[in-house]
This record gives sequence, C-alpha cells and structure tokens, in this order.
Amino acid sequence: MIEVQELSIVYGHGKEAVPAIDGVSFHVAEGEMVAIVGPSGCGKTSLLLAIDGLIRPTSGRILIDGEEVRGVRRDVALILQDAGLLPWKTVRQNAELALRIQKRRESVDGILSALGLSGFENRFPAELSEGMRRRVGIARALALRPRVLLMDEPMANLDSLTRERIQSLILDLWWEMGFTGIIVTHDIEEAVFLGQRIVVLSPRPARIRTVLDNPGMGRHEYRGSPEFMEKVKVLRQILGGNG
Amino acid sequence: MRLALAYFLGIVLIFGAWAMVSFSLEEIKGRPILPYPWQAAVAAGENIWTLLSAFGVSALRFLVALVISFFVGLPVGLAAGFEPKLADFLSPLIYLLYPMPPVALLLFLYLAFGLGEVVRLVVVVMALFFQVVVAAQGAAKFISPTHIVAVRSTGASRWQVYWHVVIPATLPSVLTAARVSVGLGITMLYIAETKLGILLPPNQGLGRFIEYYTFRADIALAGVVALALLGLLFYVVLEVLERQLCRWKYVGVKGAGS
Repeated sequence: MIEVQELSIVYGHGKEAVPAIDGVSFHVAEGEMVAIVGPSGCGKTSLLLAIDGLIRPTSGRILIDGEEVRGVRRDVALILQDAGLLPWKTVRQNAELALRIQKRRESVDGILSALGLSGFENRFPAELSEGMRRRVGIARALALRPRVLLMDEPMANLDSLTRERIQSLILDLWWEMGFTGIIVTHDIEEAVFLGQRIVVLSPRPARIRTVLDNPGMGRHEYRGSPEFMEKVKVLRQILGGNG
Repeated sequence: MRLALAYFLGIVLIFGAWAMVSFSLEEIKGRPILPYPWQAAVAAGENIWTLLSAFGVSALRFLVALVISFFVGLPVGLAAGFEPKLADFLSPLIYLLYPMPPVALLLFLYLAFGLGEVVRLVVVVMALFFQVVVAAQGAAKFISPTHIVAVRSTGASRWQVYWHVVIPATLPSVLTAARVSVGLGITMLYIAETKLGILLPPNQGLGRFIEYYTFRADIALAGVVALALLGLLFYVVLEVLERQLCRWKYVGVKGAGS
C-alpha cells in the first residue's frame, strides 16, 4: 500500500547541504504495522514527514495506493512527538481540529470516551497530565478514521508505566480500526512490541541497515515472553554494532 | 474585596499627595499654583456635562484609533514575522519607521489632512499601529514549528494555519503590547486634540477641554484627571479582553497569570 522507492532527502544546497536520508526503499502492506528504528537524529522524522507529504523528496518517490505523494493526503494522519497539541484549544477543540480543517462534521465524543478523555472535553492541555495529552494527540489523528496512521515517537518522554499503557492502547486501536501503521521510535522494546516488521536505519544519513520480521507481534502477552526478549536482544545487537 | 480596598487606598494616597503638593507650592511661591483636589472636584461638578461629553468623544476617538491600529497592524505584523519572504521586505520598512515620532510630523499631517477628525485619528493610529506591528512580528517569529506541522499535516490551507495557529499564538503578546501602549496612545490623543483641535468647542475631547480652560486651573485639572481615568479604562478593558480571549494562558499549574 505504501511504497518508498530510493528516497533521498537533502537539506540545504551546495556546501551547506546536509543529507538526511540516502536511498531508502521499503514497502508497507495494507493493514500492516511497521516500526522504524534508528539512532536519535538519524532522519526518522524526515522520513515520516515525507510520507505525510510535508517534505518533498530530493530524489526518489513515495507511492500510496500507487499514487505518488505530492502533498498532504486526507486519508493519512500524523501523530507528533509530544502530541503537538495547540495550547489555546480545549481537549475537544484539539481532537476536532483535523476534522474541522477538512470541513467534516463528525463528532469526537466516541473517540474521546474510548481514550478515557470523557469529562475533560473543556480542559486546556496545560491542565492535563502528559499521558492524557498524548491520548488527545492520538484522538486528533484517529478522529479522521485514517487509512494510514503515521506516528513519530508517540511515547517519547513518558514514564515507563504510561508508555506501556499507550503502547497497548495503540495495539488495541490497530486491531479495532485496521489502519496501516508506521511507527518511528528509538525505543527497542517499543519497536518489538508494535512492529510486525522492524526497519532498522543507520545513523545520519539514514540508510536501511536491515529489516527484521517479528511474527510474534500482536498480543499483549508478547511483551515479556522469551520470544520477545530474544527479538529485543537481536535488535539491540544490530543497533549496538555501529552505534 | 482586597483589590477594591487597594484601589481605594491608592486613590486616597494620590489625592493626599496631590493636596500636599498644592499646599507646598502655595507656601513656597506665596500664591496658589496647583488647585487642591476638592477644588478640581467642584470644578468638575460645575462643568460635568461638558466634561462627560469631552470624555465620551475622547474615548470614542481612542477606541476607533485602537481598532484601526489592531486590524491593520496585526496582519502586517504577522505577515512580517511569519512569511520569510515578506519579512525581508517589510522588516527594514518597519524598523526605519517605528522610531519616528508622529508628533514631529504634525505640520505635514495638518497640511495633508487639515484640522478635521481624520487628522486626529491619524496621529493616534500612527503611534499605536507600530506598537501592534512590532509586537505581532516579534511573537510570530517564535511560533512553535510543531504547532505548524500539526495543523499542516491535516491538510490546512495557509489561511487555516493563520486562523488556528498564528493568530491565537500571537494574540496574548499583541494584547499586552496594546495595553502597554495605552499611555503612549493617550499622550498622542492629547496632542492631537490640543494641537490639531484648536477650532473645537471644549466638549469635543479632553485634550481640547484642558486647552480651552488653560486659565481656569481647577477646571483644566479636572480634565487631566478625566484623561488619566480614560487611560485606566482602556488599560482595564484590554486586560479583561486578554483574560477572556486568552483564557488558556491562565489555566493549569504553570500557566498561572500574574
């Protein structure tokens, strides 16, 4: 469904040119959940923003449903690092933002209550805990009922308990809503818990180092199982080898 | 209640100090220089309708100037701060014109606009406009890129980015700047109403009222007090407006306002 072909992104021109991504190719099947891991600052976010149509590739191309991505698509939603909530909008207004910008009138009550945000609709982000803010960010993206969900380190800077809860939440939502997901992370366990396949990137400029199959992914019990631990170990070795 | 008490004490203090200055000046110079507060109060009572009318005209004039400055200054400032290409072109213009005092141009303004209502508004607008522009430009430069990406990733148009992010993000700074500029604005209003209001009767603005009664110190002083109250009124109105429109600034643990 999503095809990234020989994608390269270079920021700046001439002597100041900084390559961020160098010839990356991979594909994601419909309904699949793929994790992209790599060291901090390796260009993971650039890759995600390119798939979202916010950054133009320097060379190569990205196809979704066989159509080249040339701008933001309305069936693709993005969850940003630190949620990216607008502090001047209430929980409800933030959750509705994407819908209203697309002039859609659906209600967000269902998704807010599914994410445990009922009763907080009129609060501002500053009044919420960090975990709740992330859930509002997830609600904003999912309110669109997207076919593709792009996640940029949605669990970064969370305490470990909240992080695991939100990981489980994303897993449940993936089963329920059946979106195609790409999650970018630098957390090894998160990649193993949420990625059916794990694309491992090199340090900047990002190149694909390897792609790991992770058939065990999909159940909550997977976390902590010997199979899970083994996969974490393998991934840690790959990343540690040049890190 | 405590706030009301604080204001009451403040008023008592100011009037007390005023009375003392009046007394001291009279003792030193041997003749009355500054009328006592109660003399000004009596003078205000005797001319209450003229004074109220002058206050109303000044308030309306200031309000119109403020609204014009806001609706013209905000887009110019935001564009100069947010659109990099426009910024290169607009910034030098803004910085060259910003420090120029419109008072210095009174003669040319008079020649260009005559002595009508327009020229008085122009003087006040010229002062307030740049305050709004510079505040909006400064605030627009520091908009969080995450907020822009969040909105653009949903497919927002340029106008929607302004409506959902740029305007609400900069509004607190712009309103604060407007509030801080009230003092300057009132000064310009006074100058406009005296220097460019010489054909007016005393009920057509507080500046004119004060000028008209130059030789009746007690009445003129009542006008000065009214002018101070006019400034206070707009200061409070802008503060209330900020608290209403930017409620998000005043919630939560960190966001507690001063």
